[in-house]
Amino acid sequence: MQEAEAKNFSFRRYAWGQFKRNKPAYWSFRILVVLAIIALISPFIATDQPWYCKYKGVTMFPAFSLSNSCEIKGENGNVEKIQYDIADWKHLDAESIVFAPVPYAPNKSDYDNADYVSPSGRQVFIDKDGNSIPMPGRFRHWLGTSKGGEDVLSGLINGTRVSLSIGILSMAIASFLGIVLGAMAGYFGDRKLKTTRGAFWTMIFGLIMAWYYAFSVRSYSIADGFSTSTAAMLTQLFISLLVFVFVATLFYYAGRLTGRIPFLSREVFIPVDSIVSRAIEILISMPLLILIISVSAITREKSMVNLMVIIGLTTWTGIARLTRAEFLRIANLEYIQAAKSMGFREYRIIFRHALPNGLAPALVAIAFGVASAIIIESSLSFLGIGVPPTTVTWGSLLSAGREQFSAWWLVIFPGLAIFLTVMVYNLLGEGLRDALDPRLKR
Amino acid sequence: MLRYILRRILIFIPTLIIITLLGFVISINAPGDPIERLVKPQAGETGVQTGNTDQQKKEWRQKLGLDLPVFYFTLTSLARPDTLYRIYDKNEREAADRLVSQYGDWPLIQDYLTAARKLNAAVRYYIPDSNATKGLDENEALSAVNDLKFESSALRSSYDPNVISSKFSRMNELISRNAFLERFRDVYREANSRYMILVRSGSKSVWKNYVPCLAFYGRSNQYHRWLFGDGGKTSRGLLLHGDFGISYVTRQPISDVIWSKIGWSLFFTALSVILAYMVSIPIGVISAAKRGSRFDRTSSVILFMLYSLVSFFLATLLLMTFANPDVLAWLPPSGVKPALGYPEGASLWDKIRISTPYIILPAICYTYSSFAFLSRTMRVSMLEAIGQDYIRTARAKGLPEKRVIWKHGFRNALLPIITVFANIFPAAIGGSVIIETIFTIPGMGSETFAAIQSNNYPMIITVLTITGFLTLVGYLISDILYSIVDPRINLR
Repeated sequence: MQEAEAKNFSFRRYAWGQFKRNKPAYWSFRILVVLAIIALISPFIATDQPWYCKYKGVTMFPAFSLSNSCEIKGENGNVEKIQYDIADWKHLDAESIVFAPVPYAPNKSDYDNADYVSPSGRQVFIDKDGNSIPMPGRFRHWLGTSKGGEDVLSGLINGTRVSLSIGILSMAIASFLGIVLGAMAGYFGDRKLKTTRGAFWTMIFGLIMAWYYAFSVRSYSIADGFSTSTAAMLTQLFISLLVFVFVATLFYYAGRLTGRIPFLSREVFIPVDSIVSRAIEILISMPLLILIISVSAITREKSMVNLMVIIGLTTWTGIARLTRAEFLRIANLEYIQAAKSMGFREYRIIFRHALPNGLAPALVAIAFGVASAIIIESSLSFLGIGVPPTTVTWGSLLSAGREQFSAWWLVIFPGLAIFLTVMVYNLLGEGLRDALDPRLKR
Repeated sequence: MLRYILRRILIFIPTLIIITLLGFVISINAPGDPIERLVKPQAGETGVQTGNTDQQKKEWRQKLGLDLPVFYFTLTSLARPDTLYRIYDKNEREAADRLVSQYGDWPLIQDYLTAARKLNAAVRYYIPDSNATKGLDENEALSAVNDLKFESSALRSSYDPNVISSKFSRMNELISRNAFLERFRDVYREANSRYMILVRSGSKSVWKNYVPCLAFYGRSNQYHRWLFGDGGKTSRGLLLHGDFGISYVTRQPISDVIWSKIGWSLFFTALSVILAYMVSIPIGVISAAKRGSRFDRTSSVILFMLYSLVSFFLATLLLMTFANPDVLAWLPPSGVKPALGYPEGASLWDKIRISTPYIILPAICYTYSSFAFLSRTMRVSMLEAIGQDYIRTARAKGLPEKRVIWKHGFRNALLPIITVFANIFPAAIGGSVIIETIFTIPGMGSETFAAIQSNNYPMIITVLTITGFLTLVGYLISDILYSIVDPRINLR
């Protein structure tokens, strides 16, 4: 009986079982799934474009359609064009109309209810004939409005999307960098990666040349791509990447060829560990928030992508440190030696055999990292830097609430949202830490 | 031991150099032109630049050292000249650089640009006198002159062939149609012909763009000047002596600004560190001593929740409750002293007494985030110490529990806490930006934020350098303390 259990033991299933037993962590995981779903469908549940509308006999699905307008041919031949994003759907004389659950877009003003209407306060609605009637239930601002009349609930939902996407994507960048660099530093140490002297110097020269041809010479093409559109920018960057890889490969093979020359074929070590450790030390010494603020302040156009990249590039160090420590330990274990003796290539050993086992502390750090990325993003939007000013996010709602203390709904709801999300990620991290630590086997 | 410290200090220096480099790179890439901001046109000169403003600009440029190349060397191509930095105006420089990447032949490009500059210089300050405009509609004449000025100055920053030829044709039109502008025909023709020569050379020399070469500038470059000053030629001192340059907003040396503002920041940081230690250490020790008890569990939960609260949320909540005239007006909402300053003849004690209500809320916000981290660290190390054998011996000897915990366990658990001390300091500097902005405390954080809002780049760079330096010093002290207190630690 016990043998069968031992044979079917899978660490993943064991860890998941441990994780489920930790009640707060398990619930936070579920809440996280709910938040992720809200973030994904937020453009559809908090928008002022209806889901379904039948107007003058024409059926439209404005919230879901890719085009922005629809043309309706009237009886006497004149064409009426309805543009989805600026049409006044609430006052439209439609046969049937189905609105989204929160029928307000996050940054559109409801002028009739502007100037800080509280959730329980009196809200008015101007109906088709111009009369001011008390707000019907389906159009109610459930969490109040801000100074300009923007709906707070809709802003919260949009903020979920912004915060979660910035948190997760910036951590994706950070974890990719951190895991790869940490793994290489821990596995190769200072004395394991060997090349010939000729190949080493050729490679360095090749990298400089590759950088020159890919980015220096093409700098104007890239800059023009940046200012044209996102697609053009990505194309230019992709071409640059190809050029880089091409030139680097050329020099790599040229370096291989120098093996014949006796002077250049002496073996040298590449001190991977020292380089990565120095880089980590340098980055850790930078005061993070001030660095992010300075860099955000000087980038020409503020966008979410810029912010993600900046946060990702500055927070990979924690993950790298942990992965490096794990790999320093793993590199001496027996199954790695067995793999080496079987003749597997180094990179396969690292990424297929060592990495799955060395990932545990990194996962914990990633969970905490997302929490801190969300805090950084809301701090930056609170200060007014970071995301473009038209984007509504939790931090920007809070800073709007600071101007008028009596508008408590502008402070409490976004603040609670941030608090909840950060706590959920922290609990998740704690739960992962307890579940993945083999020393706490129960 | 000494060798370890020396090694740490040795690694400290390159890191500091890289931080300064980073700050420098950020300042170079900053958008906008500092000279434009420093030299405001004098009254009555809207739109028309006189030679006086130009002269001032040149002087400022030299004073700030902006007419030097950026770094000791650059990686450029064969086609690009290494004197490109002399073209000061960013747009003009970019236009010249783009022409180089289009045609590759710098002498021809230089000829064309010189001719274009001559054309612009001739036209710029021209004001038609009444003789010239005799018999013409005054407004039309003026608008023709302004058009010509605009086109010729825009020509200097244009690089797109279509744009350039359209400018030339427009200027041709203006000159042909207005007789009094005939005087500029010669300069115009020269510029035009030089451009045609350039265009006709086609892509003969474009290959030069693909050959890399290194251009050396020696020591007279902006970075060197920023670090080391320029030996007394102007009033610029060394960075190492604390001369950080001039603030773009107030035109005063930045070092003065920093000295006056740093007091409150240091005060708050020190206060928050002391408070944090005073609160977290007992909580940590007692949680460890009574592990699993109600105190332990509730304090963990409360601390965890505090840790998840963002600082500006808590700050706004506190302000809304305690400084709000509608709710509870116990504490003042902002600043560190009453709006009118301290009353006459107030002694130090009086000042402290008066300022205390102002300090309470910011102090809370500064401190609470370290509670969780510090008390957890204390708890973990305390648990480790209590699990040791000597504690068991002490208990077996019959010592009272309190003595066992505090006298024997606590001392040995103190080690990580001491070393964390030096790490908390730099963290407080960064987090202060938000709190100082909310509570309007005149410290380094709010100064940084104001500098960012007003694009005052020397200030931003200075703050970055200083905080980086302080962070490094903090880590250094922490490492040294660690190796002193624990004799088992040797260099790795």
